Amino acid sequence: MRKGKIGIGVDCGSAFCKGALYQDGQIVSLIVYPTGWNIRATGERIVKALRGIAPLSLCLLPIVATGYGRDKILAQKTITEITCHARGAEFLRPGVRSVIDIGGQDYKVIAMEDGRATTFQMNDKCAAGTGRFLELVLGRLELDLDSLDALLAKGQTVTLNSTCVVFAESEIVGLLAQGTTREAILGGVVASMTAKIAGQAARVTIAEPAVLTGGLSQSREIAAALTRALGITVSTVENGLYAGAIGAAIMAAEIY
Amino acid sequence: MPVQANELPAIFESFGDARKAGFLKMKALKDEGVGVVGTFCVYTPLEVFMAGGLVPVGLCSTSDETIAEAEKTLPRNLCPLIKASYGFAVTDKCPYMYFSDLVVGETTCDGKKKMYELLGRIKDVHVLNLPQNQNGASRLMWKEEIKKLAEKVEGRFGVKISEGDLKEAIKIKNQERALLKEFYELSKLTPPPMTGLQQLQVLFGAQFKFDMPAKLSELRKTIDDIKKSYEEGNRPVPIEAKRIVITGCPIGGATEKVVKAIEESGGVVVAFENCTGAKQFDRRVNEESDPYEALTDHYLNVGCSVMTPDQNRLELLGRLCKEFKADGVVEMVLQACHTYAIETFQIREFLNDKGVPFISLETDYSAGDFGQLKTRAGAFIETL
Repeated sequence: MRKGKIGIGVDCGSAFCKGALYQDGQIVSLIVYPTGWNIRATGERIVKALRGIAPLSLCLLPIVATGYGRDKILAQKTITEITCHARGAEFLRPGVRSVIDIGGQDYKVIAMEDGRATTFQMNDKCAAGTGRFLELVLGRLELDLDSLDALLAKGQTVTLNSTCVVFAESEIVGLLAQGTTREAILGGVVASMTAKIAGQAARVTIAEPAVLTGGLSQSREIAAALTRALGITVSTVENGLYAGAIGAAIMAAEIY
Repeated sequence: MPVQANELPAIFESFGDARKAGFLKMKALKDEGVGVVGTFCVYTPLEVFMAGGLVPVGLCSTSDETIAEAEKTLPRNLCPLIKASYGFAVTDKCPYMYFSDLVVGETTCDGKKKMYELLGRIKDVHVLNLPQNQNGASRLMWKEEIKKLAEKVEGRFGVKISEGDLKEAIKIKNQERALLKEFYELSKLTPPPMTGLQQLQVLFGAQFKFDMPAKLSELRKTIDDIKKSYEEGNRPVPIEAKRIVITGCPIGGATEKVVKAIEESGGVVVAFENCTGAKQFDRRVNEESDPYEALTDHYLNVGCSVMTPDQNRLELLGRLCKEFKADGVVEMVLQACHTYAIETFQIREFLNDKGVPFISLETDYSAGDFGQLKTRAGAFIETL
């Protein structure tokens, strides 16, 4: 059995826990569960599932954990999600220069050089610009994430004056009472999110190619909104949801 | 003999516990009839109080315990240091505030300036009118302010402050400055002979030791013991730890979490370019010239973001980065501290030009954001 070519990465985010099994330069398997309340149990479930797929003789599979729940996972090493997302993004899109990751409770803008993170900016405690904001609004509007692109594609929008998520939610209640469409409200929310992200992005040097990772990484409309806000083309990337887990798995494989 | 290594943590603890242990000592001093002056800021010329035979003590609060009480009066969106300091005063929970016969504030930032007006309803408060720049006119004004402070102290405590007393106080305070500088400069060694948390314990705790001769000899012993232990081969910090210089708002108590976040992520804090550290001890007061002139020059030239422009902060930061061989700089900005938050831009620019990696972290006195701080500090260190 060849050593140093296989690893498991677990990326425990606030909303979803993602796992990746990496072997010989390939992603063998990807897995995702809602994080739920018991981070440790969810992490263990992921590790167990990926171990089941890995060749039997490898009982000592190196594991790297990342994400905010990383300390709860039994792993050889923990590495922050910034480094992992950068490595994962480089794997998914070789030569990438910027990563915009929209997570459940934070967002980050990572500037890269030669496949590694050089500088980054993240939101502070505030939830504006994070996936949590969109999740809250979708819930309020009784919509699924799947319908997001179709609704945004209509190009409707409305100006939200509040950047604070809590205030914005009451503003949305007011807009609904005035008969504003759900499409326009969603458009306004996405414009507010991307403006917030653009503010942080201005503090690092971003360049193309830029990719979107995290839970919204499949959304063409979110990528388009980011492209408008940042002034550089931001593309969706297949398996962008797993970028952190993939980066962690690659670095796990480097342990031995 | 390897015992030395085990004795070192005890030395640090003596300073770590100083704030708590000082409560009783302060009570004893009060019982003896010694006057106590509470101060907030590094701009406050402590020599004036020492010359009057008084004991100065730092009142900057470092815990979130009384913030809720303070928010009954002060706005929520205000710096936690100001809210906590006021909160401890209204709740009578800080023994040092309680024991202070006189509280001396300064017009540093807008938040503190306005808070002192309210504090004046509870305590005897004297506010120093600190100029906003360090030019000639400001210098004249600051000298007058120091003279007025001396008059205030003389009147309040019925003492006489002679120029000779001031010169003597300057000499003693300079000895402390020199020792604390010698102490933190031990971390120029690679690897440093102590963690940043240990260094902070001494820098922060030293202000709560009120017996000056005892403090000076304890500092001397601390330095010698650390040197000896290092020479014997003890290395408490791994050589691969990334060397971090901290800049920004004062650190102590609750905000030690920033140092912890760095040191739990593969970094070691080698120097503090803030009020807790080098900003206070880097320079000495001129012992030869007229004491009021000397104090004016010394204190006015503290490099804080309340000054415009603030060249002295850049000068000190640049020098510390070089002398301590910094791998990176971490800035801590307290929430709603506008002057530091804005100056972050100049600091980033300055360090970019020097090729020193930089990150700015915003926090408050709560413990809730430790995970977020650790992710940011950890990711920063991973990029070094």
